[in-house]
Amino acid sequence: MASDFRRLVQDSREMTRRSFLAMAGWAGFTVASLIALFQSVKFIQPNATYEDPPAFKADAPSAYPVGSTTVIIDKRVVINRDPNGFYAISLICTHLGCTPRYFQDVTSDLIAAGTAISKDPDTGQEATKANPALPGFKCPCHGSRYFRDADNFFGPAPRPMDRVHVELAKDGKLFIDRSIVVDHHYRLKV
Amino acid sequence: MRVIRAAIDEAYSVMAQMVGSVFRHGLPLTDKIAARTALTNFVLHIHPVRVRRSWIRMSYTLCLGGLSFFLFIVLTVTGLYLMFYYVPSTQHAYQDMRDLQFVVTFGGFIRNMHRWAAHAMVITVWLHMARVFLTGAYKKPREFNWGIGTVLLLITLLLSFTGYLLPWDQLSIWAVTVGTNMAKYAPIAGPYTRYLMLGGRAVGDATLLRFYVMHVVGLPLIGFLLMVIHFWRVRKDGFSGGL
Repeated sequence: MASDFRRLVQDSREMTRRSFLAMAGWAGFTVASLIALFQSVKFIQPNATYEDPPAFKADAPSAYPVGSTTVIIDKRVVINRDPNGFYAISLICTHLGCTPRYFQDVTSDLIAAGTAISKDPDTGQEATKANPALPGFKCPCHGSRYFRDADNFFGPAPRPMDRVHVELAKDGKLFIDRSIVVDHHYRLKV
Repeated sequence: MRVIRAAIDEAYSVMAQMVGSVFRHGLPLTDKIAARTALTNFVLHIHPVRVRRSWIRMSYTLCLGGLSFFLFIVLTVTGLYLMFYYVPSTQHAYQDMRDLQFVVTFGGFIRNMHRWAAHAMVITVWLHMARVFLTGAYKKPREFNWGIGTVLLLITLLLSFTGYLLPWDQLSIWAVTVGTNMAKYAPIAGPYTRYLMLGGRAVGDATLLRFYVMHVVGLPLIGFLLMVIHFWRVRKDGFSGGL
């Protein structure tokens, strides 16, 4: 078998009509199989999913006081309101996709243990011995931590959580689209 | 030029060894080859021509492959029991699992048997592979069977992974979220692979059904077919030990 193969490759003039037809047959079979494989992959790829749509409406801006953090757990979204305006965070850990949870204090245990915590690059906030408690998010899966504005500062998370698009709908409510990732400095002014 | 020719010759011999490991001989043109064909054919001659007592010494194989297969049978039977009560939908899965554990007569026993046998099978398959490796049993003429064995290991692990989602509790959902996100990190095909695995963008109804189908039909079927070839090869090649 192996020597047949070798002879065939080395000198194609030794090919007989029968082996040529056999090869043509196998080639046809291979091509048909590859097409079937390709179609099978296409088959298991859903063309429509009936998942929760990425865009949804939240409450009117007046429902969110300045400085508040609101977790909408069903949508895995956080709405933060700062003096500068609104921004929304996609509450998906950038490490391996679990849902971080909001806590009033995510830093003081690290400060007490002597772990160095970097300053929040966006807000300039810093946890110190004098003022150790900063609010933020902790991921239950592998312990990543984020500041309130989604910047990561501890654990395996490689980058901040995504900020997603927020706009004001015609009826005056906040409209959030989780499929659109926006710049970190994006703010919706109301 | 000589270097290229040597490289081609090397490639031929590797390929010849691979092909020779799958197909043992060419067409049975002489009596000798015809006899060998019959003796190494599963249908014509199911038993090995000879088995030395030393080959099947317990202290050599530790019966790890046999234990793996025994656990596979335990898992098939207990899994069949579980299927009578389990519905793979996000509406029912968790409650059905709870019912199996606390309401169904001997349900907890069967479920725990399935769970512990699954853990044990992963362990015995790994140990079996380690034994085969350490005794050099993967060498000629058993390369192809080692190859089948590695696929069987992969199938064992995939069965474990797909089964992990089925209780549909927090641990399941986030473990599969994490696992499929790891798959997403693979270059180029990663995100698409994750989409196919989940049947969407997050772990949901489609994922549960997919994992269930693969867990109860797809993977066991592939595994069973490969096991048939695996065992047949073991019988035909004989055991590697005690020569």
